[in-house]
Amino acid sequence: MDAVVVDRVFFSYDEVPVLKGVSLRVRLGEVLAIMGENGAGKTTLIRHFNGLLKPKRGRVLVFGVDTREVSVAQLSRKVGIVFQNPDHQLFAESVEKEVEFALRNMDYPEEGVKERVEQVLRLLDLEKYRSRSPYSLSVGERKRLTIAAILSYDPDVLVLDEPTAGQDFINKMRIKGLIESLKAQRKAVVIVTHDVEFAAQTADRVVLMVSGEIVCEGPAREILTAPELVMKSRLSMPQIAYSALLLRRRGVALPDTPMLPDELCSELIKLVRQNVA
Amino acid sequence: MSQVSFKYAGAREYAIRDVNFSAGPREYVLLVGPSGCGKSTLLRVLNGLIPHFYSGEFKGEARVAGLDVSRTPTHVLARHVGMVFQDPENQLFLSSVEREIAFGLENMGLPRREVRRRVEEVVRLFELEELRYRAPYELSGGQQQRVAIASVMALEPEILVMDEPTANLDPASALEILSLVAELVEERGILAIVVEHRLEIALQYATRLVVMDAGRLVADGDPREMLEKVGNLVGWPPVVRAYELLKSWGLRMPGPPLTPEEFVNSFLKEVKLSGCSGSG
Amino acid sequence: MSLRVLEAFKFRRRNTVIHLLDPRSKFMLLVAFTGASLMLSDPVTLTVLLIGELVVLAVAKAVREWHRSLRGFSLILIMVFALNYLSLPSNKLFTSLAMTMRFIALTTAFSIFFLTTTPDELALALEASGVPRDYTLMFTMSLRFVPTLARDLQVVADALMSRGLELERGGIRDRVRNYVYLLVPLIVYELRRSLMVAEALEARGFGLSKRVEPYHELRFGLPDYAITILSLALLLALAYAHLSGYYARVLEYLLQLPWP
Repeated sequence: MDAVVVDRVFFSYDEVPVLKGVSLRVRLGEVLAIMGENGAGKTTLIRHFNGLLKPKRGRVLVFGVDTREVSVAQLSRKVGIVFQNPDHQLFAESVEKEVEFALRNMDYPEEGVKERVEQVLRLLDLEKYRSRSPYSLSVGERKRLTIAAILSYDPDVLVLDEPTAGQDFINKMRIKGLIESLKAQRKAVVIVTHDVEFAAQTADRVVLMVSGEIVCEGPAREILTAPELVMKSRLSMPQIAYSALLLRRRGVALPDTPMLPDELCSELIKLVRQNVA
Repeated sequence: MSQVSFKYAGAREYAIRDVNFSAGPREYVLLVGPSGCGKSTLLRVLNGLIPHFYSGEFKGEARVAGLDVSRTPTHVLARHVGMVFQDPENQLFLSSVEREIAFGLENMGLPRREVRRRVEEVVRLFELEELRYRAPYELSGGQQQRVAIASVMALEPEILVMDEPTANLDPASALEILSLVAELVEERGILAIVVEHRLEIALQYATRLVVMDAGRLVADGDPREMLEKVGNLVGWPPVVRAYELLKSWGLRMPGPPLTPEEFVNSFLKEVKLSGCSGSG
Repeated sequence: MSLRVLEAFKFRRRNTVIHLLDPRSKFMLLVAFTGASLMLSDPVTLTVLLIGELVVLAVAKAVREWHRSLRGFSLILIMVFALNYLSLPSNKLFTSLAMTMRFIALTTAFSIFFLTTTPDELALALEASGVPRDYTLMFTMSLRFVPTLARDLQVVADALMSRGLELERGGIRDRVRNYVYLLVPLIVYELRRSLMVAEALEARGFGLSKRVEPYHELRFGLPDYAITILSLALLLALAYAHLSGYYARVLEYLLQLPWP
């Protein structure tokens, strides 16, 4: 079954409609990017995935269970949401304790806790900070800590809200690597982002939202390279895709739509060699 | 700035070390580096928050608009250096845009007539007429940052310093803000120093690229020249990576390109020159 | 009693005569209405007072908000009435009605003030009355950040619930203990925020001049003088009515009317 099913959901804040009939499926082993400008409803939508918000109309199913029937704490065992701002979430005396928190809340067997914490800290490259205070870490390390705190209990679905906002290049690559390894473990990863370059590198499927509605959905390659779609949602095209578009307009025939530098370059090199020959 | 070093009180290491840096009007300086490299610290020396607001060990000499930073209080420096921060929420204190713009001017002790004049001018310049009476929380992130910049520019500083101004904005708003700054540099002749991580958006406006790592300046100069050096530190925008890849495959183009248009133009020019037809 | 109660005290931007009045004269009006509510103790005159307040509300186009919050107050009103009715030895209906009317009149008076005055104007009024700028700014900024703080609290709660903190179910003791977990990240976050705000304040030249000419000038216009004079007149008239025993006689007369 699908990990999360959003079925024609409507939601309003203070009588202002924010979600207008949104339907969506989140599948295991897939990276889904939910994109759109600020205010399109992305953050509201993901809050439905673990029951923080319940739909006014329509329903949300997590592994078949309607989110209105269980509490957020219970749903969180399956769906972990890492919010955008680490400083909203960190409070423990040490990095270790921070990661333990969720495990203790979920009654994880005591013997397994230490080991699990160790595993997760190593995964996110934080073991050397184990006993330090979360506030003494740098911006990127705090971000990794919030991810660790959620991964500790191994949810099947990981939702990242703007994971690359304010992050430097090195950390972005780390997060990308983490997403890839989670996908390999057949988890579902959902990223909410307006960073088209990051989405181009990591996402399998992309959903575009405009004013509370999903305007299109499909493989990342199709969506991110279509200029009308990208413009409608006030995003920008990935640089490589845009370059390919410009090249095509100037008469250079490129077969597919490349999104990554290597793809574009191998095509270009091929063309150059053909012409020389 | 000459041999400036600073260690925050209670820190084990120096946040910035032996920094030598100077810049003049009509420059758009892009300051980049991995997180923790000292960029924010450097910015805060420029308007006096260091060493006045943040205590610690300050070595070296820093002069801004001719004033010695360690001897001039922050509120005097504020007349010459405007600083815009990452989170607009924390920079808009009052309940309407108009009052926000007037706030800094009031602080300067200017007479009411002068304050009114400058507020009108700023509202016009930054196209805030429609937003004038609105409260900050009613505005979008991009609008809020525009108001923050306007409020700071109302004091008519020669230098505008920005610490990751687009971190919380979507790409369209980010582009608006960064190009607004470019306009200010060109039309008002200010010096803009901007810290940014999203090189693919910010690079195209920069006249100078400065890179920091572990508290030191490791590169300072023309963006194109500096880019090649710093790929591993700050990452290359995709078109630059493409340029480097082509180079490694034997295809050398003029570059590196700062935008897709530049990439495409360079590529086509290069390919035509070698006698190949540009069209496949 | 839900948050609906607060609706009557939240400023709404409208362009009515009342909204445009100088906050100081509105404050005089508030004092007058409050004084009147306290000095009158019978349902008849209190109703007259309330009608007067409602007229002001109507001019301010704010009757709907007032009505909505009144419904939120309904529980308290019933309690006020019931408590009075059950505990009084005599004149039960009369006094209970009077007390209930007084409560409504008082809250309406405050509601008029807060519905038509922005926090900024309040701060300006305070400044014009001689309160130092540092304090009035503190006041304005605290108000400005209230919705922000409310939102931060929600985000912290969301984040911790997403880590398994149970805030929706459980006994009272467990829930209270769990809510306490929210305090640390919230306090740390707000402390951080205040640091950033302080930086931004410094960067805007705060602290340069001690004497500052505020951008907006508060000036008394004709309507302001009218309102202030009327307010004072009302207060003085009622005070006189009390001191001269006139009101006492009115009260006597009303009491002996056939009440159910």
